[in-house]
Amino acid sequence: MRSFDFLRASSLEEALCLLAEWGSACRVVAGGTDLLVDLRSDEGRWPQLKVVVDISGLAELKGVRAEGDRIRVGALVTHAQVADHSLLKEEVTFLSQACRTVGSPQIRNRGTIGGNVVNASPAADSLPPLVALGAEAVVASLRGERTVPLEEFLVAPYRCALAEDELLLAVQFPRPPRGSRSCFLKVGRRRALAIARLSLAVLVTVGDEGQVEDVRLVPGAAFPMPRRARKGEDLLRGARPSPELLARVGEAVAEEMVERSGLRWSTEYKRPVLAGLTRRALAQLLGGEN
Amino acid sequence: MRTQEESGRRLKVSFILNGRRVEVLTRPNARLLDVLRDDLGLTGTKEGCGIGECGACTVLLDGEAVNSCLVLAGQVEGREVVTIEGLEQPGPEGPRLHPVQQSFIDKHAVQCGFCTPGMILSAVALLAKNPHPSREQIREAISGNLCRCTGYVSIVDAIEEASRRLAAELAGDRAGEARPGHGGAV
Repeated sequence: MRSFDFLRASSLEEALCLLAEWGSACRVVAGGTDLLVDLRSDEGRWPQLKVVVDISGLAELKGVRAEGDRIRVGALVTHAQVADHSLLKEEVTFLSQACRTVGSPQIRNRGTIGGNVVNASPAADSLPPLVALGAEAVVASLRGERTVPLEEFLVAPYRCALAEDELLLAVQFPRPPRGSRSCFLKVGRRRALAIARLSLAVLVTVGDEGQVEDVRLVPGAAFPMPRRARKGEDLLRGARPSPELLARVGEAVAEEMVERSGLRWSTEYKRPVLAGLTRRALAQLLGGEN
Repeated sequence: MRTQEESGRRLKVSFILNGRRVEVLTRPNARLLDVLRDDLGLTGTKEGCGIGECGACTVLLDGEAVNSCLVLAGQVEGREVVTIEGLEQPGPEGPRLHPVQQSFIDKHAVQCGFCTPGMILSAVALLAKNPHPSREQIREAISGNLCRCTGYVSIVDAIEEASRRLAAELAGDRAGEARPGHGGAV
């Protein structure tokens, strides 16, 4: 274990003061499920590390709130809480489904949604649904508060747009329209404790006559960072779903992965799997053959 | 403003461990697992992988199963921790094993024993929330605990058995309360 001092922030203001004071010499700990693994490895991330600031007691960062047409999920809300939260299960089913696939029960009891966002893994389970929802990161420092769209906030693998003195307070997103449906599918090497080899978050709104009014398709572990697969979305938006169309959308999403991530050792496997995952997720939500 | 004792880079942590308040002076970078095993000598909690994959170090933190290798010591300040050593229960003829522990013995759910403490605490956490789990729910609850000996079948059997015994005990207690003078109070 790396050597460091442990400081407990007892208020949000104190946490922000500590971040301003220590800058790059400081890391924040909440659930610790990513940080403690990094602090044990000899790879030397954060060479200047001197202190770890515990924010796990900050009430301001807890809880899920519906505020008008928005839902705000505090950064300290755990994966287990997201998975079991009645409002989230009802309105953003795929986010609950995604959090239910994270790690193991022990990891879900500790790991937080804020940690998942800030760690910015390309394979993070909660990120595809959050990106599909058009979520924003709410961050604060002594300089003030700002909101950043998640697609901008997630800069690159394991890099987010948080400045040294900033803390993620919450993620917030517009409530999906009534009648929208969502699902999250994940392919891992086993069911528990599996990092996603590929995943897919789908959010669709279907009109009265069965046409797709809006659709968001966000694959995980496919692009360098979770982003909407807009070519596939464009094929589907405004159309009536048919098995042939869903298959074409699947191919388009897989093509977009290859365009953005390039040909990799895993492409031969991932291309057909992502096409199939897309087709299956859409069939599940829109009806039709798998 | 800071709650840490900075003298000589030692950290004072006080928490409830197995029902009793304890106070330890430890390294600021110690994990809960290190405090339990090295500072307090409670070696029932095992260290397997040290990165949250195997579940051998599972303990209860405020009633929830967590990997004690992924919790920093300072994070348990004021909170409640239960380890395998804390499951023993008082009985009329002296202390006895927790029903989950006894079921693991009776159903031969222990081979090398290394995963057993963590496995049992995951089971205790499950049964506290869901007293009558299905086999599928049991498998889900222990999916963060690796066992390389048993093949898990006997472990799932043991947890099912524990669920029945806990239900029977609860029914017994209720019957005792309903009929004063028939063994309810000792």
